[in-house]
Amino acid sequence: MTQITEEISATNPNLDPETWVDQYGDYLYRFALARIKGQAVAEDLVQETFLAALHGRKSFKGQSAVKTWLSAILKHKIVDYLRKKNREQAIDDIDTVTQTVEGFYHSSGTWKIPPGKWDLDPSKIYEQHEFMDTLFKCLSELPGRLSKVFMLREMEGLSTKEICNALQVSATNSWVMLHRARAYLRRCLETFWFNNTKEENR
Amino acid sequence: MSHWMFNCKEVSRRVSESMDHRLPLYQRMLIRMHLLMCKYCSRFRRQLLLLREFCRSPQMAEDFLDPTVVLPPDARERIRQALKSSSP
Repeated sequence: MTQITEEISATNPNLDPETWVDQYGDYLYRFALARIKGQAVAEDLVQETFLAALHGRKSFKGQSAVKTWLSAILKHKIVDYLRKKNREQAIDDIDTVTQTVEGFYHSSGTWKIPPGKWDLDPSKIYEQHEFMDTLFKCLSELPGRLSKVFMLREMEGLSTKEICNALQVSATNSWVMLHRARAYLRRCLETFWFNNTKEENR
Repeated sequence: MSHWMFNCKEVSRRVSESMDHRLPLYQRMLIRMHLLMCKYCSRFRRQLLLLREFCRSPQMAEDFLDPTVVLPPDARERIRQALKSSSP
């Protein structure tokens, strides 16, 4: 095993954990601190990220930059942390999410809670610090498997096949999970960020 | 709506699915027809695509960060030690 990691390190010097803290520490810390407003927690999450990366680096295939790979690990850690912190809001089981999503429609299949108008300039959304905060908050409301499947697909851009391998689910199952996660998040963002609360009580 | 047409619930499920794999031609046609007539489902689709675009944008990682923030030296040292002690 050591030999393999040495080979990887030799071909990809960035995979040398000795250099990680200096190369990526500040960046990861900035990212964590922007999402979690607490220095100590942000430091812990950075440490956990590096340790997880150290143990998981055999699975790193080098398709993405080390920085991207590390920040993906950190994002999962942030969502897990927020989920634990806001336990009252978090949904434990996927069935509850399914029921929520089913509740968006009448039994006839037409919209009961139709998507509201998002008044925004797509190019501006990237500048919205709050939008990202809300996205992480909404992700942390989802059960772990659903937030994970969403992040793997939409943030990290994994294919269905890669997701099936990572989470041990069938392709059909992954599509169902992704639909629920997306539909739930879309509505959650609308409620908390776009403040379309008028439709909420319908 | 005729029975052979998709309703909003079916369309939104398939709109999501179409973001993960290519749907059969007849389904794509039925979805397209529905989207032409239904502003809510069109909105649903647009918003899911926007969400994806946002999640994958490089800005997602970079733009918001304050470059003056640095990992405090004591934390840096602690993390370095933790990495060293759990190295294989």
